[in-house]
Amino acid sequence: MKLVTAIVKPHRLDEVKDALREIGINGLTTTDVEGFGRQRGHTEVYRGAEYQVDFVPKVRLEVVVDDADTQGVVDAIVKAARTGKIGDGKLWVTDVQQLIRIRTGEMGPDAL
Amino acid sequence: MGAAPDPVATLQAEYEALERAYSTGHHGVWTARRRAELVDVALRQLFERAGAPPGTAVAAVGGYGRRLLLPRSDIDLLVLHDGSDDDAVAHLADGLLYPLWNTEFEVGHAVRTPQECEHACERLDAAAAMLDIRLLAGEKDLVVDAAARVEAWARRDPPAFAKAIREDAARRRGRSGSTAHLLEPDLKEGSGGWRDLHSIWLVEAAVGRRLEDAGLLRAREREALAGAEEFLARARSALHLETGKRTDRLALDHQPAIAAAMGFEDEPKLISIDGLMRALFEHAREIEFILRAVVERLLEEGSPAAAPPTSPAGVLEALADEAEAGREPSAALLDSIDDLDIAADVVWDADVRGAFLRLLRTGDRGALSLEILDRLGLLARFVAEWADVRCRPQRDPYHRFTVDAHLTSSLRAMARNLAGEGSADDPVQAEAVKQVPDPDALLLGALLHDIGKNGEGGHVTVGARVVESILDRMGADAPLRELVTFMVSQHLLLPDTATRRDLSDENLVLDVAAAVGSSERLAALYLLAKADAEATGPAAWTPWRRALIRELVAKVQHVLERGEMDTELAEELTERVDRVRYLLEDEPDSDVERFLQRMPRRYLLTVEPARAAKHFATITPPVGANEVRAVHFEGARTGTYELLAVARDRSGLLSWIAGSLALAGLSILTAEVFTTEDGVAADLFEVEGVWEAEVPDRRWREFRGMLRRAVDGSISLERRVDEKRRWYPAPKVPTPVTVVLDNATSDFATVIEVGASDRLGLLYDITRTFAELGLDVHLAKVATYEGRVVDSFYVRDGMGRKLMDDPEEIDRALRVRLET
Repeated sequence: MKLVTAIVKPHRLDEVKDALREIGINGLTTTDVEGFGRQRGHTEVYRGAEYQVDFVPKVRLEVVVDDADTQGVVDAIVKAARTGKIGDGKLWVTDVQQLIRIRTGEMGPDAL
Repeated sequence: MGAAPDPVATLQAEYEALERAYSTGHHGVWTARRRAELVDVALRQLFERAGAPPGTAVAAVGGYGRRLLLPRSDIDLLVLHDGSDDDAVAHLADGLLYPLWNTEFEVGHAVRTPQECEHACERLDAAAAMLDIRLLAGEKDLVVDAAARVEAWARRDPPAFAKAIREDAARRRGRSGSTAHLLEPDLKEGSGGWRDLHSIWLVEAAVGRRLEDAGLLRAREREALAGAEEFLARARSALHLETGKRTDRLALDHQPAIAAAMGFEDEPKLISIDGLMRALFEHAREIEFILRAVVERLLEEGSPAAAPPTSPAGVLEALADEAEAGREPSAALLDSIDDLDIAADVVWDADVRGAFLRLLRTGDRGALSLEILDRLGLLARFVAEWADVRCRPQRDPYHRFTVDAHLTSSLRAMARNLAGEGSADDPVQAEAVKQVPDPDALLLGALLHDIGKNGEGGHVTVGARVVESILDRMGADAPLRELVTFMVSQHLLLPDTATRRDLSDENLVLDVAAAVGSSERLAALYLLAKADAEATGPAAWTPWRRALIRELVAKVQHVLERGEMDTELAEELTERVDRVRYLLEDEPDSDVERFLQRMPRRYLLTVEPARAAKHFATITPPVGANEVRAVHFEGARTGTYELLAVARDRSGLLSWIAGSLALAGLSILTAEVFTTEDGVAADLFEVEGVWEAEVPDRRWREFRGMLRRAVDGSISLERRVDEKRRWYPAPKVPTPVTVVLDNATSDFATVIEVGASDRLGLLYDITRTFAELGLDVHLAKVATYEGRVVDSFYVRDGMGRKLMDDPEEIDRALRVRLET
């Protein structure tokens, strides 16, 4: 099993959700996060008041998937999250050693 | 002789029989008393079995002492002894407690002498429990002695006792929140819950006579408390039975079952679980309010009402006087208000309106006054629509409070923010406050923004309608009405757009600016969004949300400041869009709507509807990768032509068009490039023939052929333009090349302004330089004035950003190209 983690633009979340649903992935965890990558912080100005915006708001989403589904999920997320502009985010895949559905105690892929 | 039945087993059987005898929702005070009787019997038997040692007694305390045992309540016992035989007492305690501990009964216990009882009073909870002491078995004198000592302790200083009660209630409110508006309230410990209710009777014990006789409680209030006690007993019992546990938090999961058990059914505009919660909140508010009133009356706090108010306006004025003086309204004032018979649907005259606004301006205290009016059942007489949001729970992941509690909290937050609190961390707030034309409108907007959450659904639309009618009755003046109605009808615009839409989309920002119309309204919406979020719960105004909303506000403000959008332009845009729809009425609606949606707002504002309608046919069909469409129309002046070129937008496209025009003998007077939402370039040129007043068809053919070949890469425009240029001399007195880079004008692109002498292929030279530098021209305005050209280009880098690095490189590259 793999954990697919992606940092995406907030306004792409619905598209990503829809894309995952289309390939049969129904479980997803999201978190509002802030950070910066190549799209660094910047200064904003409102009526002459300048303020520094150090972190850019993003959404982090996490999906645990069976090995066989990993590439499909990765492709779906990347395609749905891409706008081609700066700040589209990142995605990474990590190994998952164990997965347990807390309610039933099912383990491994059964718990997906 | 057979063994006598085990008292605890019997008790268990009796408990179960009692549970079966009544359905889950009907275990109220009566069954609670019955349960206490059953436990009494069991404990007396256990006391006998333990040998009924002399010099001891067992007593019920706390809720059990009051004969109120809910299905899973603790059985609180006090073992009293005279101190003569510790072993006997230990044996007795074992004999009482072990049989109960071995079963599911939860037992709380203490072992004390009467004197120790007096010392234990240092702890309020211990004292409170013992004020309800009741003999179960053993030596009566011990209980009488203990009760007398505890009572004497409480009666020594009833005001101090009442204060301690009030502090305890405040502590519990801090820990458990309020039972009167939280979506998942604690029915026992929460403010307005079971413990608060019994705190009132503790005060009565301390006073030593009926609270009514002491002038501390009104007859109506005792009735209300009796109703609240029955309701809470039923709700808590149902929760115990439903969960099988001694839990008092009415979690969302349990609400449907409890509502069904207690007989709540779906009603129009109120689903059953909301009906349950509303009933609970109403009772809890009574408890909260009466406890507060009883303590205040006892302490005679607050100044007495100067003169009891005699009219609705007088009520608000009296409350406003207190609030402005920084005082909470006195119990005496509230009693006099309670005694006043205020008719439903108060008529708003200038006095009522003035006093109401005065109240709002005091912020926190004003909100408290409104809440008090609500507890007295009076707020809905001023604002009838309040009744629909009163005690109404909100079921979404963000809200924690009822609609009305959220609204008064929003008022508080708005008043705080207007007063500058928190502006140190929020420069946008500080500036927004300066923009506010009328603070009253913002306070009213905050108080009423969710007034449409009345169960009809679509609260924003409903709210706009409801607030109109409220403001109408209030007799609010036009500017106030207009701003408040706007705030209510658009209060989700900023948060929804900021968190769900692409803020780098200029059309989106222009649309928001069109909906907002002015800096003042934008400031009002920002302050409302902030107050709304702050009043929603700790999770709502996160740095994450704040960053997104501020980014949108800043961008919309810039658009408004630059005059790219305002109320008039928004109206004009609407008119133009309607006009285009009218001109294209024979075309399929969906195509027309798609066209209007795809085109940049600036296109619709620049290009007259008649021309836009002519462009429709060229722009609408899907454009292939290497496809290029070019059509021309008669220009605005004789000898000029309008040229529309449509192709998939890509780096270099503009230079190819410009180069092809130059080679075909067409001179560019003005140019404007637009890019649709889906990446199609629609470039508009005003051109004239270099050689002929009337451009012959062959030149247009030549242009189209050249452009097509340039797009598919089969010819080098560069070589051809250079070759052609050799035959045309440069201007005799060249004006110097100027290049200005500006990152401040637009939030979406860097503006590069280039000035130079006109020459053959100038626009081609500039735009191909951009292409070589990897810049996309998003918008261009090209104008020629008597041999001098001043062009502005809105450009972005390959990743869609403004240009952040190395402006010198661009400057240098342009100069090198244009000065040679």
